[in-house]
Amino acid sequence: MPDESAISVKDLSFGYQDTLLMDHVSFSVEEGDFAAIIGSNGTGKSTMIKLLLGLLTPTEGEIFMFGSKVEGPTHSGKIGYVPQNGGSNASRFPATAMELVMSSLYPQIGFLKFPRKKHREAALLALRQVGMQAHAGTLMSELSGGQQQRVMLARVLVNDPMVLLLDEPTVGIDAAAVSSLMEILHKLNIERQVTILMVTHELYSVAPYLNRVLCLSDKNFAEDEIPEGILVHAHAGVHENTHEHVHCAACEHAHDAEHCSACEHIKENGGEL
Amino acid sequence: MILDIFQYDFMRRAFIVGILLAVIIPCIGVIVVFKRLSLIGDALSHTSLAGVAIGLLLGINPILGAMAACLVAAFGIEAIRKRLPRYSELSIAIVLSVGVGLAGVLSGFVKNAANFNSFLFGSIVAISDFETALVIGISVLVFLAFLLLYKELFYIAFDEQAAGLSGVPVRLVNTIFTILTAITVSVASRTVGALIVSSLMVVPVATGMLLARSYRQTVVFSVVFAVSATVIGLFTAHFAGTTPGGTIVLTGVVLFLLALLAKKIAGSAARRRMKGAVRGDK
Repeated sequence: MPDESAISVKDLSFGYQDTLLMDHVSFSVEEGDFAAIIGSNGTGKSTMIKLLLGLLTPTEGEIFMFGSKVEGPTHSGKIGYVPQNGGSNASRFPATAMELVMSSLYPQIGFLKFPRKKHREAALLALRQVGMQAHAGTLMSELSGGQQQRVMLARVLVNDPMVLLLDEPTVGIDAAAVSSLMEILHKLNIERQVTILMVTHELYSVAPYLNRVLCLSDKNFAEDEIPEGILVHAHAGVHENTHEHVHCAACEHAHDAEHCSACEHIKENGGEL
Repeated sequence: MILDIFQYDFMRRAFIVGILLAVIIPCIGVIVVFKRLSLIGDALSHTSLAGVAIGLLLGINPILGAMAACLVAAFGIEAIRKRLPRYSELSIAIVLSVGVGLAGVLSGFVKNAANFNSFLFGSIVAISDFETALVIGISVLVFLAFLLLYKELFYIAFDEQAAGLSGVPVRLVNTIFTILTAITVSVASRTVGALIVSSLMVVPVATGMLLARSYRQTVVFSVVFAVSATVIGLFTAHFAGTTPGGTIVLTGVVLFLLALLAKKIAGSAARRRMKGAVRGDK
């Protein structure tokens, strides 16, 4: 019977040379989940993302995305991937934000074909979604770390992905930029039902947006509820910086109503905050 | 009159060949620079000398020998680079060592030293009809391939893994690019010289990067600077009686230094304007 989970990992083992990194790991991420993978350095968090992308082959076990077995990279753009340090790496390349987003449209344009007006419009729309349309013609090296990371997100959004895999997207950016990035992801998750799985070391700053946390340790995953202490701490941080704080019935987390576009959307449509 | 230079058939030919190479070499150069393989031109051009020596020893056209040697060297670099992805520049150093070593040993057996030396510093004003036709054919081929593969090469130069994930046939595009690089370097070695071709591949790109505001501008500016260096260099060489290949490269370096100076002046002016605006606000 096909598994309808967005991501389903069954009995997966993987290692490099003689070192076993994952031992019969099984977990699933449901459609619409906003989940984080946490764990110490070297436990295989980034490796798991590469396995999900089909860039690495498991020693044992199987991975399914929306019921289809992962046997290599999918090329469709429906699995969006933002790599670790993606923004800072991009800043070393002399391209504009628009040029980088356009390059991601390859699955839609095709081999040896030239981009058309509709592709340029799609790239601009993706930049608008992350609030970077005003910087479309700016060199990546002239953007801040947070802005670079938003452009990297636009690069995957341009293909209208069903799943987003993010490898430490908040590393090296300040608290305001983290908050801004997380609000964009939250909006995608709530409004477009994009399933999000992110590797992070900064659970305190992202916890309010998550509905699941997967903790990788001792070669396996332990599925955790978001630890109460972390949630309280994170919410307290939000409270310190905002005037009004409300509980959102839609995402079941606390947000500043002015800054959470998902909550605003619900309020406009008569939803309950 | 300065334009009297064009009454000579060999000079007209030199300008045609020089400008065509100045268009295609930076196109290749942009990609190798962004793939962190800036010295690939050096490795290939030195290996091409080994091919020239083999061609002269076997009695076949030395350009064909250079082309074959460049192809082997280029695929060698690509093969080593895949096995040592974190140290891609090491692949160039290894192939460069093989090329220099082979060229050094084989040149000792070449009887016609003048012919071999013409490949070291090039002889753009003494190229044959066959070589002119070869340069025209290769230039058209490389330029069309560069335009057709523009977005694929951009993506691979930016992030090879992401390009593969998006469905870009990375291996095929890299193979085509390797062949284009090898034939461009081998044919350019004959005209501007094996010791100089690498500079033409990198210096105009460095100049373009200083002033460009996008990747596309970097490509266009690199070509403009390479063509400018070639034209100014050929005129200078003719009237000053200097070696054309070396003069072209030195002109390219002067353009780079001028661009560097212009950027510094523009930066200082912008900072002064900003300080003035801040004082005005107060």
